[in-house]
Amino acid sequence: MTELIAQDINVWFGQRHVLKDVNLVFPEREVTALIGPSGCGKSTFIRTLNRMHELIDSAGLAGKVFLDGTDIYDAGVDPVDVRLRVGMVFQKPNPFPTMSIKENVLSGLKLANRKNDDPNGLVETSLRRASIWNEVKDRLNDPALSLSGGQQQRLCIARSLAMDPDVLLMDEPCSALDPGSTRRIEETILELKDEMTIVIVTHNMQQAQRVANRTAFFLAEDGNPGQVVEFGDTDQVFNQPVDLRTNDYVNGHFG
Amino acid sequence: MTIDPAPVVRPKNAEPWRQVSLSGVATIVVASTVPIAIGLFAMLLGLKFELALLLVFLPTQLILGVIAGRKFSGRRGQADAILQVFVVFFAMTVVVLLVSVVWSVIERGSAAISWQFITQNNVYISGSTSLEYGGLGHAIIGTILVVTLSTIVTVPLGIATAIYLTETRGRTRSTIRTLIQALSGLPSVVAGLFIYAMFIASGLTQYVGWAGSLALIPLMLPTVTRVAEESLLLVPQELRNGALALGSSAWRAFYLVTMPAAKSGLITAILLGIARIIGETAPLLITTFAANNTNYNPFNGSIATLPTYLYTFIASNFDTAVQRAWGAALVILILVAILFIAARLLTRPKTAKKAGK
Repeated sequence: MTELIAQDINVWFGQRHVLKDVNLVFPEREVTALIGPSGCGKSTFIRTLNRMHELIDSAGLAGKVFLDGTDIYDAGVDPVDVRLRVGMVFQKPNPFPTMSIKENVLSGLKLANRKNDDPNGLVETSLRRASIWNEVKDRLNDPALSLSGGQQQRLCIARSLAMDPDVLLMDEPCSALDPGSTRRIEETILELKDEMTIVIVTHNMQQAQRVANRTAFFLAEDGNPGQVVEFGDTDQVFNQPVDLRTNDYVNGHFG
Repeated sequence: MTIDPAPVVRPKNAEPWRQVSLSGVATIVVASTVPIAIGLFAMLLGLKFELALLLVFLPTQLILGVIAGRKFSGRRGQADAILQVFVVFFAMTVVVLLVSVVWSVIERGSAAISWQFITQNNVYISGSTSLEYGGLGHAIIGTILVVTLSTIVTVPLGIATAIYLTETRGRTRSTIRTLIQALSGLPSVVAGLFIYAMFIASGLTQYVGWAGSLALIPLMLPTVTRVAEESLLLVPQELRNGALALGSSAWRAFYLVTMPAAKSGLITAILLGIARIIGETAPLLITTFAANNTNYNPFNGSIATLPTYLYTFIASNFDTAVQRAWGAALVILILVAILFIAARLLTRPKTAKKAGK
């Protein structure tokens, strides 16, 4: 089990300072929700946690991210190893179009050049954990793009789970989905949290309250870099927020 | 209330957007036949075809088109009619030109084509020799050898360049892109002269197949690189991110995700590159020369290719020689056609193949 700690994270794009002094602790076996209005740096922040951030051309970063006590930005750390341990699900479902459903689930192994003794078993467990097995078990060899948007997203979750990550990052995984698919993904999150640390970015207040143990509220005011305004137990953030701005946001007064 | 769940047969008029009134049809018929009639009438009065087309047919068609367009949808219809008339007119001009080029090659080339013509070589054949003797088999082999040799070198180089331009963040990307663009403006004869000066005039080698292949590389490279780059750029960034987020190395993400997604574009890049160089004449004339015998070895001795074969005969005074040249032109066209059909078959989308099975 793994604890993830973000320490003094500052992010720039070119000369523009977009995230300032973010300090968050993600305890193991807990779900942490990141909420806040668009453009406040939530997605940027979550991408710093598995070193996807540095793939953007003008990206800059200061600060440390500790995964089990090791800073993932240390000179000797290979980003590939970090991403193997910290999986990620994106806002837009992105199954690999040239692969079948089954191949998509196993794609992580292939991409990381790993072997598995029981690929069929792994496909079934992963799809079951992402609660999509019953819908696709009879057509595992169909192209992944033949699935609906919600199914594609759950396939992408299964794809990440097949790598058995210690941490799962989800960047607005339900923003493009209907209520039914959203509910199933939330159920999946609740089942998974006994096995891994989960960080989820969401615009949906109810979703944060349903799935998250802890919630962090990000805010970027008047062109200033985004900062964490409030961080604590979900219950407290939503019902007795310390900061007035958090209160306004979670009660729908702005954003 | 009961609801009938059964589907209903599609009625014939299930396309309400296609409805045209009788008067509308009549207007269109009149507006498109009258100008032709007037144009023909002008020709009967002794006007030349070109003049009748440009001075009588086109203006009347424009005027009637505008009137008809106005009747249908006012000022918008008027502008629409003017554009339509011009677009169709110039499109037809281009189609007629293209078809007449292809047709003249087929018409005059087919007379020369025979089994012996495409298999025999040009030894002891002169411009006045009857078409029953000799052929361009040696030139087909030469073209295939020289072009294959170029392709073997250029395709990895071009695709690697495209990968550098799209998949990496190298600092010299924009410089390389500019250089490749500049290369695509290189006159082919200059490429040939360069190789000639470097290897043949300097006495390093005689006329030889590989020198021709070398001269074709800078001509093929920009085409392959540009098309490959475009097709790689079409692959969504999300797919690369998805692969990298799974813990893939950059190379495996490219090899297993990006490249398969861009496969059809990459094949097109190769084939367009081949089509670009298969008809090149000038650089080959001064590097491979035009041999009369069959040469299977591009690394030793002069070698003939289809364009150089064509070139040797086209300027002759003898009808038979000119016919040989047309035959060679037709063979080049057929080779290119085969390539493009192959490209179509290779790049058919996966789903279409499944439906065919």
